[in-house]
Amino acid sequence: MEAQKYVWDGAIPLQIHLHESQVTTLPPPPPALILAPRIGYLPLLASLLKPYFSSTLPPGVDTIWFDYNGLPLKWYIPTGVLFDLLCAEPERPWNLTVHFRGYPGTVLIPCEGEDSVKWSYINSLKEAAYIMNGNCKNVMNMSQSDQLELWHSVMNGNLETYQRVSSKLKLATVEDEHTSLCSSKSQQGFGETDLAGQVKTGRVPVRLYVWSVSEDFDDLEDMPKVDSWEKISYINRPVEIHKEDKCFTLHDALKILVPEFFSNDLMNVKSAGVDFEDALRIPSEDVSSDKVVEDHVQNAYEHREACSISSSAEIKLIRIQGIEPKLEIPFSWVVNNLMNPDYFLHICVCVKVPQQNST
Amino acid sequence: MAAESPSSVRKVVVHLRATGDAPILKQAKFKILGADKFAKVIDFLRRQLHQDTLFLYVNSAFSPSPDELVIDLYNILTSYFHTSKGMLLLVL
Repeated sequence: MEAQKYVWDGAIPLQIHLHESQVTTLPPPPPALILAPRIGYLPLLASLLKPYFSSTLPPGVDTIWFDYNGLPLKWYIPTGVLFDLLCAEPERPWNLTVHFRGYPGTVLIPCEGEDSVKWSYINSLKEAAYIMNGNCKNVMNMSQSDQLELWHSVMNGNLETYQRVSSKLKLATVEDEHTSLCSSKSQQGFGETDLAGQVKTGRVPVRLYVWSVSEDFDDLEDMPKVDSWEKISYINRPVEIHKEDKCFTLHDALKILVPEFFSNDLMNVKSAGVDFEDALRIPSEDVSSDKVVEDHVQNAYEHREACSISSSAEIKLIRIQGIEPKLEIPFSWVVNNLMNPDYFLHICVCVKVPQQNST
Repeated sequence: MAAESPSSVRKVVVHLRATGDAPILKQAKFKILGADKFAKVIDFLRRQLHQDTLFLYVNSAFSPSPDELVIDLYNILTSYFHTSKGMLLLVL
């Protein structure tokens, strides 16, 4: 679980500029430099930023929000995920603009400080519990003090406390496959035995952010910037880990989540031992390639078995917790080490799609 | 529940149940496209109830983010119970 510690200690160096419309002093205040925890949320930085900029703000009521190159940032997405998603070529420090006025209520849902963020986190946790157990009683029945302690552990990045309190939720982690299966090819006992009394589940909560780019580019540096949230599909789909003889890899999981991008072996995946049979299955139905992209989001779930859509979409980048993982690593390892404290695995995918001739 | 229709036009039935101080709804259920975001459900109910602040809980369990697709939520709910009754929404 060493990797989990790295995730919890992970931080993004931010250089935060106050939006010029809110600067009332000369000279304008220098930008604030802050290390923002990956697993944290941007509005939680208010306690540091507010005192820093307060002397220059115009009179009025504060509602903090951030933008990156003009794109208002969704506050309920963990900071690390925002960075992975919006900075294909990591920019360090990451230059963000903070606003204390003029909340863009049409783009962002209202945020009333820490309480809103906590509420959002707890609901995300409940959703994850629902996916894993079919109910979220364990989260709902948590004592007030446990809930608060759990939240504070997330806010302060205290992994030990988090592990102690979250273990009471009895939310199953998936059994690490790589020791038992991937190396020794032993099939014995997989999915049958309980690890340290934990209830196991095969269902993993995943939040997938798919950014579709139609412009051509060769280098990540030349990638266009995300200028609208409309370009990002937000897909919430559980991955069911299949008990098979072979190891269930990240590649297998992605094939379930976004089968349309795996219709051909487009990624030049160096995936020894990964079975491509499913992906290469002969198309059973006639889907014209130009309408494919439009239909993807809706179709993906139904077509998880078929994998038959022909597509010229190409995955450019897959990033989880700042890492571009190899696709042949066991999915169980990815989940157990790289998931966020809300028990969701957040995966950022950048896809190059063909130019669309309509809409 | 039009389970057989192509997923892009697939609709999900949303059943509403008001609790607490929420006003009783004239309409106890409505249909929405699976491809729509949950935000559309929130907007619809805000207008119906003339209320700015609403708390909506799917299957009395959790409150999803407005960005989540209705079909994704529906699939989460039905993966355990294999029902086709649609989605129960608790309005608070």
